Amino acid sequence: MEEDVYAIALQNALNEMRNTCPDIQHAFIFKETGEIIAGDAETPQKVMVRVLDAFNGIFNRAKAIGGIEAITLKCGGGTVALHSFGEHNLVMVTSATADLNYIKTLTRILIPTVLRLLEKISPTPLKNILVQQTPPTPTPTPTFSEPETMTVGEVLEGEVAEEPKEPIIEKPREEEIKAEVPSLEVPATQLIVENIGGLLVPSDTVRIDNETLTQWEEMFEGKKVEYVEIETFDGKTTKCKVKPIKDSKYLGKGVVQIPEKMQLTLEIKKGELVRVRPIIE
Amino acid sequence: MTKKKKALEETATAEALTHPIAIETATPEDLKTLLEEIRGYDGVIGYIMRNATSATIDLKDPTKLIEYAILSSSALDAAEELSELFNLGNFENILVEGKDIKILSLKIGENRVSIFLDKKADIEKPLKNSTRFKGAFRA
Repeated sequence: MEEDVYAIALQNALNEMRNTCPDIQHAFIFKETGEIIAGDAETPQKVMVRVLDAFNGIFNRAKAIGGIEAITLKCGGGTVALHSFGEHNLVMVTSATADLNYIKTLTRILIPTVLRLLEKISPTPLKNILVQQTPPTPTPTPTFSEPETMTVGEVLEGEVAEEPKEPIIEKPREEEIKAEVPSLEVPATQLIVENIGGLLVPSDTVRIDNETLTQWEEMFEGKKVEYVEIETFDGKTTKCKVKPIKDSKYLGKGVVQIPEKMQLTLEIKKGELVRVRPIIE
Repeated sequence: MTKKKKALEETATAEALTHPIAIETATPEDLKTLLEEIRGYDGVIGYIMRNATSATIDLKDPTKLIEYAILSSSALDAAEELSELFNLGNFENILVEGKDIKILSLKIGENRVSIFLDKKADIEKPLKNSTRFKGAFRA
């Protein structure tokens, strides 16, 4: 799971909920794109993916009832509940003895509060994570006195040439942090593996949502994303070409279409989660 | 006067006694009758009842029939899959709450039943009556 602000905060919120209500056996949060952003350690990724798969049919037709607010499945041995908070959805499995009203109240207060706070603190998490993760340098140094040692970030900022070359000038801390940001990296996106159908499918090309590609390209200031790195949860990685999804039924579903041969190499199959990271060369 | 009162009491007692017996021998036809009754509850906008051989549908807005049918079927499929995945035992019901409509789905014997309600409608009464019937089919 990505070490981003959202994931950590939501993970903590889930842990607190489970501490308060031990009857919560499983809990995880996913986005409407299908990306799992936080979950308890006791629930394997494969189980979460199966849950998403099970709910998929309902979400696909939910427009007829004005979109999903909640789903509650009651069984003799416990309950599965899904609560929707905008683009985030919380899934909880509770034991038969759980006080559902208490859990519902707790959930309806805690999760939206955390989400609202996160929105205020970090409204564009994907673009800000790396800035926040980079520790600020305690003693500023005149980084602009030696242009030949400029970082990639400085080059992209395009401010260097216009700065007066005065070695004693101390730059504000904010600028310095920006300069150290490895701006050609973005966090990996978690996507669900889907097969590619059809004849003559190139074995070295995966397909993902055009929206995701556009977001990445925006982050890379318009540079075209032609390659991605696929990483499985077992740690296997591969670099391959990427193209937008053609099949409209997979649009906006948070899937990555991977050729069968590549799935075999990575030892993954349809329905499993992988991390996909853009590569700019 | 006393005779009439006594007769009324006897009728009431007889009804109370016969009611559970009728439920214990419930048939799909009885279930349809129950659903017709539920259909008249405040906030209930329709129902779909399906089994291996037939389907009975009563919806206020027939234009949404297909959407509702697929959605309720998906809900029941999800319920079966999730109860198996988490070993939750016997499936009781699944409630899908939308922003406009909510759907209460359950299995009664071999019948897959979905009741469609307005967002603010109370599900307790339909749920209680359906669950009572569910027991009768099990028996």
